Amino acid sequence: MNKKWLSYPYGLWMAAFIILPLLMIVYYGFTTKDGSFTFSNLTQIAYPDHLKALGLSLLLAVVSTVICLVLSYPLAMILNKKSMNQASFIVLIFILPMWMNFLLRTLAWQNLLENNGVINGVLSFFHLPQIHIINTPAAIVLGMIYNFLPFMVLPIYNSLIKIDPEIIHAAYDLGATPVIAFFRIILPLSMPGVVSGITMVFVPAMTTFVISDLLGGSKVLLIGNVIEQEFKQGYNWHVGSGMSLVLMAFILISMAFTVKYDDTEGTGLW
Amino acid sequence: MVKRFIEKCYLAMIFILLYAPIVTLIVLSFNRSKSRAKWGGFTFQWYVEMVKNEQIIRALSTTLLVAVVSAVVATLIGTAAAIGMNAMPKKKRTLMMAGTNIPMMNADIVTGISLMLLFIRLSDVVPFFRLGLATVIFAHITFNIPYVILSVLPKLKQTNRSMYEAALDLGATPLAAFFKVVLPDIMPGVVTGFLLAFTMSLDDFIITHFTKGAGVDTLSTKIYSEVRKGIKPEIYALSALMFTTVLLLLFLINKRGEEKKERRIPSAAALRVKRAVYAVGFLLLLLVIWIGYPGKDEEKQEQIVVYNWGEYMDPDVITQFEKETGIKVVYEEFETNEIMYPKVKSGAVAYDLVCPSDYMIQRMIGEDMLAKINFDNIPNYKNIGKSYIDGAKSFDPKNEYSVPYIWGTVGILYNKKMVKEPVDSWDILWDPKYKDQILMQDSVRDSFAVALKKLGYSLNSTDMDELEEAKNLLLRQKPNVQAYVIDQVRDKMIGNEAALGVIYSGEAIYVQKENPDIDYVVPKEGSNLWLDCWVIPKNCKNKEGAEKFLNFLCRPEIGVMNFDYITYSTPNEASRKLLPEEIQKNPIAFPGDDIISRCETFRYLGEEADAYYNKLWRSIKSK
Repeated sequence: MNKKWLSYPYGLWMAAFIILPLLMIVYYGFTTKDGSFTFSNLTQIAYPDHLKALGLSLLLAVVSTVICLVLSYPLAMILNKKSMNQASFIVLIFILPMWMNFLLRTLAWQNLLENNGVINGVLSFFHLPQIHIINTPAAIVLGMIYNFLPFMVLPIYNSLIKIDPEIIHAAYDLGATPVIAFFRIILPLSMPGVVSGITMVFVPAMTTFVISDLLGGSKVLLIGNVIEQEFKQGYNWHVGSGMSLVLMAFILISMAFTVKYDDTEGTGLW
Repeated sequence: MVKRFIEKCYLAMIFILLYAPIVTLIVLSFNRSKSRAKWGGFTFQWYVEMVKNEQIIRALSTTLLVAVVSAVVATLIGTAAAIGMNAMPKKKRTLMMAGTNIPMMNADIVTGISLMLLFIRLSDVVPFFRLGLATVIFAHITFNIPYVILSVLPKLKQTNRSMYEAALDLGATPLAAFFKVVLPDIMPGVVTGFLLAFTMSLDDFIITHFTKGAGVDTLSTKIYSEVRKGIKPEIYALSALMFTTVLLLLFLINKRGEEKKERRIPSAAALRVKRAVYAVGFLLLLLVIWIGYPGKDEEKQEQIVVYNWGEYMDPDVITQFEKETGIKVVYEEFETNEIMYPKVKSGAVAYDLVCPSDYMIQRMIGEDMLAKINFDNIPNYKNIGKSYIDGAKSFDPKNEYSVPYIWGTVGILYNKKMVKEPVDSWDILWDPKYKDQILMQDSVRDSFAVALKKLGYSLNSTDMDELEEAKNLLLRQKPNVQAYVIDQVRDKMIGNEAALGVIYSGEAIYVQKENPDIDYVVPKEGSNLWLDCWVIPKNCKNKEGAEKFLNFLCRPEIGVMNFDYITYSTPNEASRKLLPEEIQKNPIAFPGDDIISRCETFRYLGEEADAYYNKLWRSIKSK
């Protein structure tokens, strides 16, 4: 039986609300206020201030993605060893914080990190040196790691549970050490999960404007902030659209290397 | 053994990281002090007030409504799409998959903006797409569908096609075969997809931020607008409550799960518990949505849309007006003139009443955005002091477009315990002693005004050399600046986080109440004297209603109510006379002529100068 027609409503929806809006951005990005064609909205990215924001966004996104990966992989391995029931409960524990609003969670870090905040209170109680990272890029990275960690852990965990334990046993039987078994068997087989985890952390980290606002004290300008201000404050949608296009292209290029592992069947989040 | 111990420690560390902020929020919900920065004792007060706070309940029910509707629709469309795609030839499927990945790969900010652009264009033709609740739901459905597809598709791969064919062979209709054979198989995927969509919708801020209209607020957008002026404790209470509810439901379901494991086949009792838990959760949801939306009739009621500064009116004033006149007030807030302006200008939302500052009113008059006010409808206008009406002439030469609402100065707020020397000049903001101790305003004109005044120039300067000099001065100041903030100066000063802060006079009185070590001064070099007035945009829908509200606001006793709530100076002479003597004489609330004479009012400098200011400001911020 032919069930293809079932996906037509979605096809329509996609055309109307995914493709068409993108075309709108392209249109705005290549025109000026009076409607004539221009490249100037795109080339504005070359302004030193904008380049700096882009570079800083890239740096912070890479740093937080790497830290997320380093933290998540061992975590996913530990979860993988647990019984199914225990593990699924722990996975729920990861999703649960999302029910507390994202902005509030991030804001709470202000309370924790501030110079007279909770963490410094605890540190001074034990006569330890204080930390002063609020309103610095370090605080922003912390905020990103905190917010995006689940998006790294869950895909990796999902790809790990799919690995047949017999394959690993076979490796041991054939004389592999645990280290070799990890690098030759487990890591390559979990690669799809790692890649989708990297995407799910890198993209939002690269484009956020909220975390930098809340934890950076508006002293740190990321590319997301630049775009948001063009739309919400500067009132130049054309420049904003142009920048969005550049950002989009930039992300596509950064992610190009993942295509190799891109299984269209989706080793998605859950 | 050691390894297991290390693993346990590692897990514990990650959980501390994940839950530290949540514990913080729950603790804050019991904090008697309204300020996030101070512990004022234990209280249940906010839980009680939360239930009474209509705006918060409304935001909650909007959030849940959006989440339920978008998750249900996305699940239907997405599941159907997954089944269809599964039956497609590989090439076509890859194409569909690529389209599906766009919202997943794209930055939220781009998705949100592109949808906003689309909706604004569409609304010219189809009024249904005017930014509002519907557009938010459409946007949420759009970013939710991929999550459903990605959860259902893998399950479809695992199903055995022969089962479906066997059912057909045994005489089942395709429909029956689908419901009896295929659907039960993919059900876990559908449920995960639904829950995922629901959670994502609940937690989304960025896309909602761009696609929402006036008066529509989800919890996220409500919180974002409150971040700048300090979150209301009721929000903490609500979040804590939501969190514990979900936690409880999860524990119940999980308990059922363990039982299932023992017996392998779920007992009837276990199933009943599971169903009961789901049913209770769902009923709770519907109840909250129903409470927030009392009925459709309300929509047809006469209404006015008011766009005001954050924390700039006593909510009881609105309630009283609604009771007296039966006109519903849709109330929305902004943080700076620059954020307000594009929203009014783009016409995406038709506001009836807006409250910009002096220079912005001049700009809006110049761009023919405002309607002349009919002062016959506002007899209480006579209560406004003559000096303020004269002052308004600097931006509204014939007093045709504006009604003064609030005024004040800009000055330095300082902590007497941390700053021992006398403070009377802007110079102190450049003193290296106060490295990382200063809060500056996150607004172009206000920050430049400080630098220009320190240099002895006019704060309306358009001289490139003077501005360059001011920019370099601000750059030099940056190491001293702890953060560029707007109304957060308030919380941070109360919490002794900073020694000095640039702030509007009205905030000073509130801060002093919470922390008596704080004092306020208008520096001797001079500062900004500002006046915020009500204006009516040309594209308003209910001018008469707006004028009725204006007349109501000019009543003496309403002015007093607002003063008590927001502690900003009122230009209403009749209200001032009703205030206690010591406040009438308070130099912060009502500064004398000696202070006012050294202050200057902002003027609109033209688009070119504005762009130049913005450029300089951005280069300061990105340094």
